[in-house]
Amino acid sequence: MKLFHHQAVGVSRRGFSRRSFLQTVSASAAAAGVLSFRDVMSLQAEELRRQGMSMILLWMAGGPSHLETFDPKPEAENGGPTEAIDTSVPGIQIANGWEKTAGAMQDIALIRSMTNKEGNHRRATYQLHTGYVPSGSVKHPALASNIAREIGNLDGALPSFVRVGAARNNRIGAGFLGVDYEPFAVQQAGKLPQNVAAGVPHPRYNTRLGLLNRLEDEFAARGGKTNVADHRKIYKKASKLVLTPDVKAFDLSNEPDEVTQAYGDTNFGRGCLLARRLVETGVTFVEVTQGGWDTHQDNFERVKNNAAQVDPAFAALIHDLKQRGMLEKTLVLWTGEFGRTPRINARTGRDHYPRAFNAAIAGGGIQGGQVIGSTSDDGGRVEETPVTVPDLLQTVCRSLNVQADKENMSPLGRPMKIVDGGTVVDQLFA
Amino acid sequence: MRVTERLFRQGIVASVLVIGCLIWAAGSGEAKNFKPRKSRDVAERVDRLITKDLQESEVTIAPSVSDEDFLRRVTFDLTGTLPTPRDITLFGLDPHPKKRARAIDRLIASQEFGANWARYWRDVIFSRATDVRSRMMIDVFERWMTSQLNEGASWDQITRELLTATGNVRESGETALVFAHQGQPEEIAAETSRIFLGIQIQCANCHDHPTDEWKREQFHQLAAFFPRIRVRRVRDSMPRTFEVVSFNRPDSANPRAGVGQFRQNPEKLMRLLDQNNDGKLTQDEVKKRKRLSRVFKRLLKIGDTNNDMGLTVAELKKLPPPNVNRRAYSEYFMPNLDDPTSKGTRIDPVFFVAGQTPEVGLTDEARREQLSQYITSRDNPWFAKAFVNRMWAELLGEGFTMPVDDMGPERDVAFEAVFDALSEGFVGSGYDVKWLIRTIVNTEAYQRQIRPVDSVGDGDQFAAAIPTRLRSDQLFNALFRVLGVGEPKGRSPRRRGYFGRGGPRAAFALLFGYDPSTPQSDLTGTVPQALFLMNSPVINNRVKAKGNTPLAKLLRDYSDDEDVLAELYLLVLAREPSENELKICSEHIAATENRGAAFEDILWSLINSTEFRTKR
Repeated sequence: MKLFHHQAVGVSRRGFSRRSFLQTVSASAAAAGVLSFRDVMSLQAEELRRQGMSMILLWMAGGPSHLETFDPKPEAENGGPTEAIDTSVPGIQIANGWEKTAGAMQDIALIRSMTNKEGNHRRATYQLHTGYVPSGSVKHPALASNIAREIGNLDGALPSFVRVGAARNNRIGAGFLGVDYEPFAVQQAGKLPQNVAAGVPHPRYNTRLGLLNRLEDEFAARGGKTNVADHRKIYKKASKLVLTPDVKAFDLSNEPDEVTQAYGDTNFGRGCLLARRLVETGVTFVEVTQGGWDTHQDNFERVKNNAAQVDPAFAALIHDLKQRGMLEKTLVLWTGEFGRTPRINARTGRDHYPRAFNAAIAGGGIQGGQVIGSTSDDGGRVEETPVTVPDLLQTVCRSLNVQADKENMSPLGRPMKIVDGGTVVDQLFA
Repeated sequence: MRVTERLFRQGIVASVLVIGCLIWAAGSGEAKNFKPRKSRDVAERVDRLITKDLQESEVTIAPSVSDEDFLRRVTFDLTGTLPTPRDITLFGLDPHPKKRARAIDRLIASQEFGANWARYWRDVIFSRATDVRSRMMIDVFERWMTSQLNEGASWDQITRELLTATGNVRESGETALVFAHQGQPEEIAAETSRIFLGIQIQCANCHDHPTDEWKREQFHQLAAFFPRIRVRRVRDSMPRTFEVVSFNRPDSANPRAGVGQFRQNPEKLMRLLDQNNDGKLTQDEVKKRKRLSRVFKRLLKIGDTNNDMGLTVAELKKLPPPNVNRRAYSEYFMPNLDDPTSKGTRIDPVFFVAGQTPEVGLTDEARREQLSQYITSRDNPWFAKAFVNRMWAELLGEGFTMPVDDMGPERDVAFEAVFDALSEGFVGSGYDVKWLIRTIVNTEAYQRQIRPVDSVGDGDQFAAAIPTRLRSDQLFNALFRVLGVGEPKGRSPRRRGYFGRGGPRAAFALLFGYDPSTPQSDLTGTVPQALFLMNSPVINNRVKAKGNTPLAKLLRDYSDDEDVLAELYLLVLAREPSENELKICSEHIAATENRGAAFEDILWSLINSTEFRTKR
């Protein structure tokens, strides 16, 4: 028997209706026939567990230097001025500039052996987001859209996939999965997203919706019935978003000062705080982007500057989620599209380097305080436990209880797995 | 798609015949006789065939569309916007019996015709672009394509230009297809086949085609027409620009070509070249090997770990795998799927449709020219059919076979005879784009009413019109007309304003754009689109009853509310309101204290209605 999220209990982080729970259970039991009540209950329990899961992707657009983040090589000839600092976990050192993240290391696992072949921003970004290399013939869905589809709450007032402050080359969306799983883009955290506030006061807005609805009947009767029905569906969803009190999740002004201070007075900091609030309100997947990692020039200065924004926000997010008891159910992944060359170029920059890069991952059942894999002394080669893009995405699916080998049918009639190939990095769950 | 079993069987027989004819034609070197035919004659033939077929299946045919609906439909289709209230009135009053055909001719002759269809093709090409940088030339392509279409360039000419293009992407619009894929042979091959032949041969990229007969090798033979294209940045260009160039240097002159041998057999290399038997190779020892000596210095830099200026077998083995970049070669290599880092198998160009094979080793220019001849040849039925099916689908909402870019030899085809008649006529016209569009929009099939979906039975395709979603540019033109906002002239890409970069049209397209190769049935609206139409300040400011808005003007000009309503409906929906709509609106006006506010609500509702964004 297979239960889909929308057939399962309508449950959110705020609790669920006991009545609908019992109704669903008895309906499923009747449908299943052969299953005992206990079987059905345990299936439901599995569903409930999945339903609570969510993910926050901290996307470092441009390709962060692994050598200046979580895989420093101060001894190496090309290590640059970067130093290694101790973390809260004995034996794990990361680059200076990441002091706050270092303090949260007991909850964070580092993957120092990410390896890939795509050295072009757009292609690699696409691959990291979808698990597939780009192709002209099919728009692959973002993994996030698949996740939203598998475990998201379609009936929620807020979209199940929100993308905060994305780079221009990242318009990767639901692909052939359709409109329900498209990312909802928020240009800047801290403000209500564009066009979400009604153009007129709510009573008049409601009047307008009523008038629109009445006037639509004419066209529906003339032959536009299907079109009108689709249109009404979208408008219902959109107006729900306009009218829901849940949109206050987008408004950060009521957060206590110490919280906003901890995240940092930056776009990325506000993005992370927003991500926490959205997940709390029932959003399944939030992506927050920090750009500026394409450090072909002045690598060390620019990384320092980026780290100053990302470090406090990342650490505060982990801390905040943990304190609220949300970390176990929220997977946080920090990564970018590739690493940077060990060689320092003539402009004290580092260039694109997909052969070795890193990722930091926390929450969602991940065992923190450990390091997966290692690179050679100069950071140029993965030496132990290489982790490919599909391996990473498989691991994400495991954490969120998404069945990675589930096949969706692409428009060309070709079945496509949510993640094609790769194996889970089991050690992360140890 | 609804295809009766009868049609399906006919389809199979006909496709066998088509392929048969093709082989026969290619074999005997004799072309089919495609006579030039009058647009009107072909349109009549099309209608006879459709009507006969529908009558035989006892399908009720919807009546001809009203004048005002016809004018809205054809104005959107030919010039991408709404007819003005004045156009509608004049057209309704025109007593000429051939006024529809005359309106069609007038619209096709207008400059907006080219702009409208150029935007359609812009979306076809750029929706699938595999490199975002290609967006920098969108305007250039649009301008180029607009003038091609307005000047009556034939589809084979346009195709040839796109396939053989070289030059600066900010000057030559025809480089669009190549630049959209950064000159990558596989992507260009896939798109060439998809756009110009309606065949998704790239499904055979990694394996034989899952549903059609194409073999994996055939896809790569098509890609082998394109290995000599390079896209490179124009040095010191400001603003930054790229050029598409031909790269005809033979492989032997390629400095990277020799790198592979190091990995394959370092021991053998050592035996052959290590003259002093000291177990390491030096620059001096390899100097007779032309290619090797050229890269030796670089190899030393990477692999000489003990800095003795020589490479031992161990050091050779430790060299990083060569950067296998098939782009370094001027011939095409099909990747070995079991060993992706290897060079792969060399493949020479063959055109898969009828197996034409050009000479081996042709220059880039000659290869692409040759391919464009194979593709646009009258003996290649796919070329005409792909275009006819696409145009028919765009104009009528559904093609003879769907999706338009995945026809393939084994698809079901509805109304095969009609499809053939139009395709033959199109070839006979010399691939005249305007001829084909004129023919289609003059058919009764195009000019039917939409009708309630409930009455739809099986096999009634083309018996009634289908309401379809307007493309982004069409909706943009309509919306800005209704709001009385002009589009800023001359776009500056750096301009940041209310709509950000690229001007309002580009910003609007980010929200409302879609790939026009997508079947209508797969298209849906989105939440941000609805939010924009409901709440965006630009709309809420311009639906106001005050100031210099179109609504304010109507309210000033007419004191009678019904007059205002009639004008408003004409402006927004290009038709008069029905009795029922007048009633609903009047009730709303009566219930609202403020006349202006009531009309604002009505205008807002019309802009947000399904009908406004639908071609009916």
